[in-house]
Amino acid sequence: MAENLLSTVDIDQQLSTQTPQEILAYALKTFDNIVISFSGAEDVVLVDMAYKIAPEKVQVFSLDTGRLHAETYRFIEKVRKHYNIKIDVVFPDTAAVNKLVREKGLFSFYEDDHKECCSIRKIGPLRRKLLTVDAWITGQRRDQSPGTRAAIPVIQDDKAFARPGESLTKFNPLANWSSQQVWDYIRANDVPYNELHDSGFISIGCEPCTRPTSPGQHEREGRWWWEEATLKECGLHDVNIKT
Amino acid sequence: MRITFVKKINLDGSFCKKCADVQQKMDAAGQNDMIDEVLIADERDPSSPGVELASLYNVERAPFFLVEREGEAPEIYTVYFKFVKEVLNQQTKEEDELKEILNDNPDLDFL
Repeated sequence: MAENLLSTVDIDQQLSTQTPQEILAYALKTFDNIVISFSGAEDVVLVDMAYKIAPEKVQVFSLDTGRLHAETYRFIEKVRKHYNIKIDVVFPDTAAVNKLVREKGLFSFYEDDHKECCSIRKIGPLRRKLLTVDAWITGQRRDQSPGTRAAIPVIQDDKAFARPGESLTKFNPLANWSSQQVWDYIRANDVPYNELHDSGFISIGCEPCTRPTSPGQHEREGRWWWEEATLKECGLHDVNIKT
Repeated sequence: MRITFVKKINLDGSFCKKCADVQQKMDAAGQNDMIDEVLIADERDPSSPGVELASLYNVERAPFFLVEREGEAPEIYTVYFKFVKEVLNQQTKEEDELKEILNDNPDLDFL
């Protein structure tokens, strides 16, 4: 069981200047029931780093939306064998997917937006998984989506997915890294990677919602390109900075 | 149990979109009677009570609910449907909960 975290903000200030490996080491040392979220893309670096820090503590899960590229499935399997680890592949609720497809078809996200499909195929199974753990680790980086989250902390109190009356801690060890740093690590350490990257894919998600990007395009432009980027959250962050 | 509801007012004086949406849902569900205090986090006034409460509990999203129970640590809820289910003990639809979580955390779709 994890130690009580007095203040994630204070710890974030300490960890924010540290390397991803140091942040991971802290996370793995502090929590026993902790999982790494692996999307089948370049966040494989987290698996590699964690494996080198504490192989006996590496617990990984992947969200199988049912719409991933064949290359991504092959890559998840490759990672499982390469590190000789168990990967908990979690699936969406069958009844919810059935209802969506029956009522709106297989490509409703092109007509509405991707949120309904994502909430059923990703957020639902993600929540089920996170209800079983005390902490989780993601590969989210600030440079992935500067429009919506310019300041992802390296550690945060995850209020959205916490069990009732309990806390859930979320670590983003790569928050301060750039895409270039991630790829430098992959190449320097011979880390296996998804073959889609060789075909121009920077960000990899579901097959219908992901496309290769051209040089100079931001990786977000390879996802949900038919939608206009909008700022949906109602942040208080700017106000807090001023106080 | 004491429940405080914090809503944000934008720089232009309007309520934030989600705050207005949550207020509308609470009105429709008759939940306002269960709220002990409503505080405003006014972006134009860093010393407004809602901003101070948000700073105290390191909350970065509006609206939110502060739930205080005697002898227990205060709890913060930033997901309305989670608050309704776990604190008000009322039924919610899972699809509504999941959509709210994704709307509040747009980067989750990157996973």
